[in-house]
Amino acid sequence: MSVKAWLKERFPIDYDKFIEINENIFIKEPIPIHMKKWWYCMGATPLILFTLQVLTGIFLAFYFVPSPEMAYESVRHITQDVRFGFWVRGLHRWGANLMILSLFLHITRVYFTRSYQKPREINWILGVILFGLALTFSFTGYSLTYNQLSYWAVTVGTNLIKSVPIIGHSLLVFMRGGEEVTANTLTRFYMLHVWFLPLFLVFFLVLHIIVLRLHGVSEPEGFPKGKYFPFYPHHFYKIIIATLFLLAVMSALSIILPPGIGLPADPTTTPFHIKPEWYFYPTYRFLRMVPLKVGIYVTAAFLIAFTFWPFIEPLLSKKNSVRRNISYGVGALTLIITLALTIWESLT
Amino acid sequence: MDTVKGQQWLIGIFSTLLIVILIIVAGMEMKKSESTKPEIEIDKTTAQCITCHEDKGIAVKQIDAWKESKHAVMGIGCYECHEAKKGDFDAFTCTGSNILVARHPTPKDCGKCHEQQVKEFANSKHAHQFWLLKNGDRAAFEFPMATRHGCEECHQIGNIWPDGSVGECDACHAKHSFSLSVARQPETCGECHVGPDHPQIEEYIESKHGNIFKAKGKNWDMGYSTTNHEQIPIEAPVCVTCHMDGNKTQPMTHNVSARLATESQAPWSFRTVWDQEHLGDWKKKRERMEEICASCHAPDFYKMYFLNADMVNLQYDEIRRAFVHWTTKLTKNGTIKRLKYKGKYWSNPVLNGWDELPEHEMYYGWHHEGRRFRMGAEMMAADYTQWHGIWEIQEDLTELIKWAAEHGDAEAKKIVNTNDPRKFITYALYDVPGTEWGIPTKTNTTPFVYQAFPDYWDRIYKNVETVYKRGLISEDQWNLWLKRYKNRDYYLGLKYANSPQVDSTWNFYKKRNDIDFKAMKEQVIDLVLPGKNFYNNK
Repeated sequence: MSVKAWLKERFPIDYDKFIEINENIFIKEPIPIHMKKWWYCMGATPLILFTLQVLTGIFLAFYFVPSPEMAYESVRHITQDVRFGFWVRGLHRWGANLMILSLFLHITRVYFTRSYQKPREINWILGVILFGLALTFSFTGYSLTYNQLSYWAVTVGTNLIKSVPIIGHSLLVFMRGGEEVTANTLTRFYMLHVWFLPLFLVFFLVLHIIVLRLHGVSEPEGFPKGKYFPFYPHHFYKIIIATLFLLAVMSALSIILPPGIGLPADPTTTPFHIKPEWYFYPTYRFLRMVPLKVGIYVTAAFLIAFTFWPFIEPLLSKKNSVRRNISYGVGALTLIITLALTIWESLT
Repeated sequence: MDTVKGQQWLIGIFSTLLIVILIIVAGMEMKKSESTKPEIEIDKTTAQCITCHEDKGIAVKQIDAWKESKHAVMGIGCYECHEAKKGDFDAFTCTGSNILVARHPTPKDCGKCHEQQVKEFANSKHAHQFWLLKNGDRAAFEFPMATRHGCEECHQIGNIWPDGSVGECDACHAKHSFSLSVARQPETCGECHVGPDHPQIEEYIESKHGNIFKAKGKNWDMGYSTTNHEQIPIEAPVCVTCHMDGNKTQPMTHNVSARLATESQAPWSFRTVWDQEHLGDWKKKRERMEEICASCHAPDFYKMYFLNADMVNLQYDEIRRAFVHWTTKLTKNGTIKRLKYKGKYWSNPVLNGWDELPEHEMYYGWHHEGRRFRMGAEMMAADYTQWHGIWEIQEDLTELIKWAAEHGDAEAKKIVNTNDPRKFITYALYDVPGTEWGIPTKTNTTPFVYQAFPDYWDRIYKNVETVYKRGLISEDQWNLWLKRYKNRDYYLGLKYANSPQVDSTWNFYKKRNDIDFKAMKEQVIDLVLPGKNFYNNK
């Protein structure tokens, strides 16, 4: 009995139909012609990075111990003793940074090509949720190294939650597993990082892709409409190239700029400079510029506007050209402010 | 590059690039695995020493310690330090070989590589066996077998070797690992700086510095280097941090005298002039120490701290003056006699003597209690300034005067027989309004001198002004003192002593105290047992 026949007996499904579905959904998926340009086809980058994060994360989890006594030591062990540990950790750390960077770029591209417009509003919101999840991923992951900077970043970061009206304090206690950052916080963050966040992220990612496929990739203005090419081989190869490129870059970065281990966390000694990771710089700088309450409310207002922009934009004008100009203006201003705040914070 | 062919090319290029980078990653991994343990290259002579010592089982642990040392990693084997030339004082041919070996590597040997450290050490007071100059009747009181493993063991640190070099590097740098962590342990200094006559290790442990070290020091890596003008990497200082280690502004030094502005182990406290030509005057030395303090503290704090410590030292001198007055007077009039053998004196009325109580009390008042009083104030060890210090000094002086009265001294009799409390202050006083810790509101309402002498602060002013003019305190210190003197009601807290807030808090505790006292009276003071005493049945 051939293997195929053996399998067919165990899984009595219509193989011809299966192949046909596969061909329709993946192999022959119609990709709009503008995606032959590199600038427009990188939406899969975060997905590639996420896959790499899962793989390297599993390897790190072999050695990582989420307890205040052992967390720092196990990170040190991975970095200094475990074979290829420094590389795997380097990939994971740089992967996290590149993930945020690629999401910034992806969001910027989607925004300025106005791909969020009707009927794709929901997918923009799903994207925003995914971005939020990625940031939470980074924040929880950073805290797990349990060195001075990460410990105090968690302390300061979670402290902000207190300012949320009414439920702030309860939320803080829930996040930290008590009033202070302790072993409870570490295990909570670990569970979030390796279990809940991946689960949520996969769920929303699948939804994001399903919605994308249902509508098809949006075709930006300025490109010939209705012209497509099949997913395989052209776009498939692009994904392979991107994967190889990212792996090479991240490996090189792990060698040239390997992530350090810092000083072990010491809850009794506050370091002179507490700084979050670079992608929180704009928010951090902004919160330090204005009274905390004001900062929190303005940030929340911005997040709401950002999330529901596809619904807000049509309310601004009936004329597409006006809407476009407003969107471009708002987008450019946000981009400039974000960059300025990031540079400002990194220089102080 | 938009064609499929082009993409395949790109895949090829990036695959190759990735493989190259992965090879580099693998190379780094291999290098890392190799370099986790430093490789020790053992030369022929060292190998011969090790083989023979291990075969015969002689001092094998020393070889293990050496293998852990930086010496071993740097290729400094046995013979580099134990090399000897014919005629050297410690040369001997090692049994079973023809190698001429030095039994005692001296600072001269260490100095072949560590020239600067040996030089600095030789210029420090560690290197000076001053005790030999003024040993007096201690040489008569304690016999050699006792001092061999007593005084000598510690004072070996300043040994003058037959080759003319001075010092004993391994007194601190335990051989043969010569570990920086061991040298830096406070207990290393405490091997000698311990006990009733100079309890620095006990004082350190009593201090906040020592307390933090005890609580958290076990997690600190003490093997750091401070030669690169970097910030001190530990949270609280150990002995070496202040007296030797470098920081951002101060170089590391093996001259422990470089930062000491006051001589407080000698019979009199005075400003240091040790190696003045190289180290500068006491102000320069204090400046160095303050630079170290500034790593962690604000000038407000440490300048005031030092002013108080300096005043304690000057105050000690005045008490010392009283001791010397009595012993010299009693010696001159023949009440106490110097030890004498074959025309040579073996005691000194202003330093020591053992057969008459005044000599004994005077010796303790300096050599034990007097040092504890002064060093405690310098090292944040309150108990040593107070109970192990001034309390015992006062007792020594009182006992001395009582003895003089009993032996017919009229002046002493007058003091003993009076009920005037001024009799405990037979010397001039210094004072500094307040402390560096804060404003005490009630504490300064009690002292006898504050209550009894309206001209108290005028007298203190004149004393402090005199020592300033004599150069015993700096201009900065004088200005700091003046600032406090002018606002003394504030700094002494008297301004607030009867404010409503302070009174209300004070009365709260006073009430509690009344309850305590009442309980004490009811429970035990008024207790009369029916069994009566056995002497007279009362």
